[in-house]
Amino acid sequence: MFSKQKPLWGKKKKLKSSYDVVLIGGGLHNLATAYYLAKNHGVTDIAIIEKNFIGFGGAGRNTAIVRANQRTQHNVPLYKEALDLWPVLTKELDYNLMFNNCGNLNLMHSEAAMKAARTTISTAQFHGVESHLIDAKEAKELVPALNISDDITFPIHGAMFHPPGGIVRHDAVVWGLAKGAAEKGVEIHQQTEALAVGTKNGKVTSVTTSEGVINTKQVLISAGGYSAGLINGMLGIKLPISVLTIQAMVTQPLKPLLNHVVSSGAYHCYANQTLKGEIATGAHMDPWPNYTNLSTAHFIKHQAEALCEFLPCLKGVRFMRIWGGLADMTPDMAPILEGNNHFDGFFMNCGWGYFGFKSCSSAGKYMAEYMATNHCPDMLKPFALKRYEEHKLMGETAALVSYSPDN
Amino acid sequence: MALTITCPICGKRNGYEFKFGGEERGPRPDEKDLTPEAWCDYVHMNNCVAGVQKEWWFHRDGCGSWFTIHRDTTTNFEVEKAEAEK
Ligand SMILES: Cc1cc2nc3c(=O)[nH]c(=O)nc-3n(C[C@H](O)[C@H](O)[C@H](O)COP(=O)(O)OP(=O)(O)OC[C@H]3O[C@@H](n4cnc5c(N)ncnc54)[C@H](O)[C@@H]3O)c2cc1C
Ligand SMILES: [Zn+2]
Repeated sequence: MFSKQKPLWGKKKKLKSSYDVVLIGGGLHNLATAYYLAKNHGVTDIAIIEKNFIGFGGAGRNTAIVRANQRTQHNVPLYKEALDLWPVLTKELDYNLMFNNCGNLNLMHSEAAMKAARTTISTAQFHGVESHLIDAKEAKELVPALNISDDITFPIHGAMFHPPGGIVRHDAVVWGLAKGAAEKGVEIHQQTEALAVGTKNGKVTSVTTSEGVINTKQVLISAGGYSAGLINGMLGIKLPISVLTIQAMVTQPLKPLLNHVVSSGAYHCYANQTLKGEIATGAHMDPWPNYTNLSTAHFIKHQAEALCEFLPCLKGVRFMRIWGGLADMTPDMAPILEGNNHFDGFFMNCGWGYFGFKSCSSAGKYMAEYMATNHCPDMLKPFALKRYEEHKLMGETAALVSYSPDN
Repeated sequence: MALTITCPICGKRNGYEFKFGGEERGPRPDEKDLTPEAWCDYVHMNNCVAGVQKEWWFHRDGCGSWFTIHRDTTTNFEVEKAEAEK
């Protein structure tokens, strides 16, 4: 705020009265979409409209975990490409994204979970993603701090080990993509709120913002957890989304003890050690929809109890910071990417829940192709909204979730 | 964020005693001439209001009642009525 340097994404510009493309929301997905529209398709007359500042939403609040070991054949290729893109983007953007491919260790606490992991691993391996099943002893060799004894609430039976995943510095991705997009001519308008999308005869015509009206033929709403409310409020399109606050926290910095991302479904807890030494840990979502972004004692206690069971050396360590952000959950834990359906020129990319960081690069790349060509790329075809009506929900979780969010 | 819910039987209680039961969506649609679109709308679609909404709750760790309240989703506070119904 007090620095004289101009931001990486250029000086503040005056909003024009028309753009070829308007992207609502200054998060990762729109930054990536803008970058690829400019880089791969020569579309550069683009305005990104951001109500607060870029990185205000999930983009700056996530726990930065990346991986490609999802459960279904539709999801894995999209996430795999995103994972492969981190080193490429680091080079292309000439910006250090601090990709630390330390690997993810997903703990299994029952024989049923081990069996489910086998299926997931087969899917990964079929798509050329490295992932394997290991037993509790091998998990302990990878993370000596793990408690593999029987006297905890959920004893560890084994783990799904996914070496190519890890951590990427999330702020760096925001800044790097903003820089890359701006260098190609994309305009980023912060502190500008989108208020309405205008349509005429089934076509998009304009976007009304707090700084004036923009004429445009193409609009993409991809505003993280705010998307569903905006899309319904502006265009009357209801989505199968529940918006929930999700919390995360970090401990005081410690000497290196955790060299993989460790996660546990049964404990509803995941943790990794940041390069600063803090243990960053994420919790489950609030059990009721809300837009508060606030944190609760409930989850601090929950995280402390869970971590002390499977990483007992953390007993007595203090949490230093806690924060919350929004997760927009769909019933099948898969996103909705859609275009030219309700209105010509209207696109949406949302429902990314708590997995919208790891996917932003490839989702942005294909969304850019979709918008530039007006043809849905094969990669995105499974993610159309129509699937809910056709009852073709994706099996991203083993059991269908009813968000009344109890899982 | 702290949340209290007022159960019609038990009064004001800690929110963690309850299970959220979804946005109020009106009566279940008639099965006669029911289209997949209307059914999907009833089963899956939400308004996702950032503001006051009417919603269902179940007093899971209490008396077992199902009931509706109005709550502001940006603050988690219960309110008397939704703007629209005033
Ligand atoms: C605590 C937490 C942990 C997470 N951990 C992970 C993880 O480990 N791995 C992972 O893959 N994902 C994770 N996620 C999910 C991920 O962060 C999100 O899915 C993703 O960031 C959302 O997409 P986005 O970045 O494009 O949008 P966001 O960054 O959410 O951007 C939305 C933007 O839209 C703006 N906006 C809202 N309304 C308007 C308006 N009317 N006009 C203009 N702009 C508007 C907001 O100000 C905001 O900046 C996590 C999320 C949270 C909250
Ligand atoms: Zn009761």
